[in-house]
Amino acid sequence: MSTALAARPQPGRQQPDTRLPGTQRPDAQVLRPERGGLFRRLRALRHTSPGRLQLALAALLTLGLLTGLVGGLTGYSAGSATSDLGNRAQPLLVEAEAIYSGLAEADTTAAQAFLAGGLEPAALTRRYDDALTRATTALASAARRTPEGSPAAASIEVLANGVARYAALVATARAVNRQGLPVGASYLSSASALNRDVLLPQAQALFRGAQDEVAGGYDDATGAGWRLLLTVLVAGLLAALLLTQAHLSLTTKRTFNVPLVGATVLTALLALGSLIVLSNQSTHLNRAGTTGSQPASALAEVRILVLRERGDEALTLAARGGGAAYDKDFEDARASVGTALGNEYLTTKARGAHQTYLETHETVRELDKNGDYDAAVKLAIGDQTTEAFETLTAEIATALEGRKAAFTAEIGTAGRGLGLLTVLVPLLALAVCVLAAAGIRARLEEYR
Amino acid sequence: MARTRYVVAVALVLAVAGCSGDSSPLPAPTGPPTATATSPATKAPDTACNPRASLRPSGALPKPGRMPAGSWMAEIQKRGRLILGTSQDTLLFSSRNPFTGKVEGFDVDMGRQVAAAIFGNPDKIQIKVIGYDERVSAARDGSVDLVADTMTANCERWADVHFSTVYYEAGQKVLVSTDSPAKSIEDLGGKKVCAAAGSTSYDNIATVRSQPAPVAVAKPAFGDCLVAFQQNEVDAISTDDTILAGMAAQDPYAKVIGPKFTEEPYGMAMSQDHPEFTRFVNAVLERSRADGTWKATYEKWLGEFGPAPAPPAAEYR
Repeated sequence: MSTALAARPQPGRQQPDTRLPGTQRPDAQVLRPERGGLFRRLRALRHTSPGRLQLALAALLTLGLLTGLVGGLTGYSAGSATSDLGNRAQPLLVEAEAIYSGLAEADTTAAQAFLAGGLEPAALTRRYDDALTRATTALASAARRTPEGSPAAASIEVLANGVARYAALVATARAVNRQGLPVGASYLSSASALNRDVLLPQAQALFRGAQDEVAGGYDDATGAGWRLLLTVLVAGLLAALLLTQAHLSLTTKRTFNVPLVGATVLTALLALGSLIVLSNQSTHLNRAGTTGSQPASALAEVRILVLRERGDEALTLAARGGGAAYDKDFEDARASVGTALGNEYLTTKARGAHQTYLETHETVRELDKNGDYDAAVKLAIGDQTTEAFETLTAEIATALEGRKAAFTAEIGTAGRGLGLLTVLVPLLALAVCVLAAAGIRARLEEYR
Repeated sequence: MARTRYVVAVALVLAVAGCSGDSSPLPAPTGPPTATATSPATKAPDTACNPRASLRPSGALPKPGRMPAGSWMAEIQKRGRLILGTSQDTLLFSSRNPFTGKVEGFDVDMGRQVAAAIFGNPDKIQIKVIGYDERVSAARDGSVDLVADTMTANCERWADVHFSTVYYEAGQKVLVSTDSPAKSIEDLGGKKVCAAAGSTSYDNIATVRSQPAPVAVAKPAFGDCLVAFQQNEVDAISTDDTILAGMAAQDPYAKVIGPKFTEEPYGMAMSQDHPEFTRFVNAVLERSRADGTWKATYEKWLGEFGPAPAPPAAEYR
């Protein structure tokens, strides 16, 4: 690479010499003195009054046009990044969570139905169907939001294929179970292994990727580079306008040059407007983060953790003493849930429900360890435990909905004015250029 | 029940010869259980011992509920339940009844006879499901009192655990799809043949004399092998004939082929730390053979295979 690049200029330089030896060389020699002449003429301008004015006009026009361009781009990029955050990154995060929790819940429910023995209870079948529908719906819309070839798209592909296989395995398990054949249990454990070993890790990767995208989305939306450039240009424009006016009031009899004063006022308005719109955006983006996407993402993790607990409990029992790994996973999840439940948006009711659930879980483990397997199963899938757990998940869901709404509202407010900024800043900058030209040309006329 | 009738039909085809469980050869073909074995080269059979010979019972059984002080049986009695290690997907031997959720079968009933001898109540038993590859370790480290899980008594395992006297004679066969032209496992060269990881069946697949040898595929349990077979992931399943009969009973598109190519004498495995328990279990088996309990248990679970044969004779060292 580097050698190729280094080699390239050489042939380029040699070409004119070899192909057009006679004509090219004189041309090049003519150009060089010409350029020198231009610089000399520019330098010479500084020494005459009209020359200085011409230079000032050129500077003002350049600064004005650049300000308009950068201001428009700043508004545009902030606007599109903000709406990307609201319309793509955050919904993707929500969908990734829905995929994860849907799959985890389907797995938990299937394991519980297995534990119940006999014909699957209708309530469990319905919950499984709902959970799987939630996951596949979210999967379909997440697929629309991920660019082709991205890691997220790869995860979604694995998930889409895997979910179809998973659903087929569970359906077979059910059909076989209806015939009373023990191989139904093996189908269910194959399905569960697929879910836990392949699908959930992919869903988790998707979720983490979406979290990163949201974090990156905030950086893009507040694009510090554009903002800094705009500030420098506006400050430069204001300074150039003031200096020109100072120079004019010193060298002419007029204290004020009306068009230039107008241009200065417009520039100040432009600066003020940009400041208001952009700082409004920053404030609300910040709030969307602290009261919206951050707690929402934390709540989503809580939901994932508690579903993992519930699933581990059922699988520990289903493995009949061979489930030490699930039991250990439960303890790991429980350790993380403890701190995660401290989330300020969760009610004490949720924490209480989790405590109740944990106590029942302890009893379940105690019963199982003491050999009373049937009682352990009965308690684990019984109404009391189910109710405590469902209260918990319902509380988490409510809190999560609240945070999602807060995010949407803040993002809506943050985007306010950005469209206007995109259009008005270039227009104002053009007006500044026109006024500056008018003001200076009036003085230049006097030298004719 | 329809299921039982199916079992009957298939079992009749399989015939009288058939009952069995786990795979590890005794005298004839080969032996040792290294899961990685892939070469068909026959390993020298481990004939250093007679795996069928167990410890002789010491006199008559104590009365239920009055286990001799200091014995392992007294420990179990104090605990209030016998812990039996088994599987939950071996139809007829130990499988989970999908209607009741309970694990039941021939192996479980063997364990229940031991529980009845200790407590006078066969229900004082806790079923712990263990993987095929955990059967030796679970018995050795005492996490279960007794393993009854279609487990072949062989010399290699005798090095780690005690076996009871033989309570069942099985032999390895192979299950293929009904449209397969194969007549025996030798015809399955290069095909994928599934067995449970840690079972002697798995090791035996690699010793089949065919060119090329069948490809052994390990799954956590035999139920998973049946799933793999039905999903076309493997071409065949090879293990003890009765386990295969239980599978064929669940799949009308599967058949069991060929002669038994190994001998698999089943024993219950226990820790070597308390030989008095092994002697006790052997005494229970002795009584079971004598008073018709063994025959009744056979008829209950395996009666569809034909009339109960004579129980395997006890051998002692």
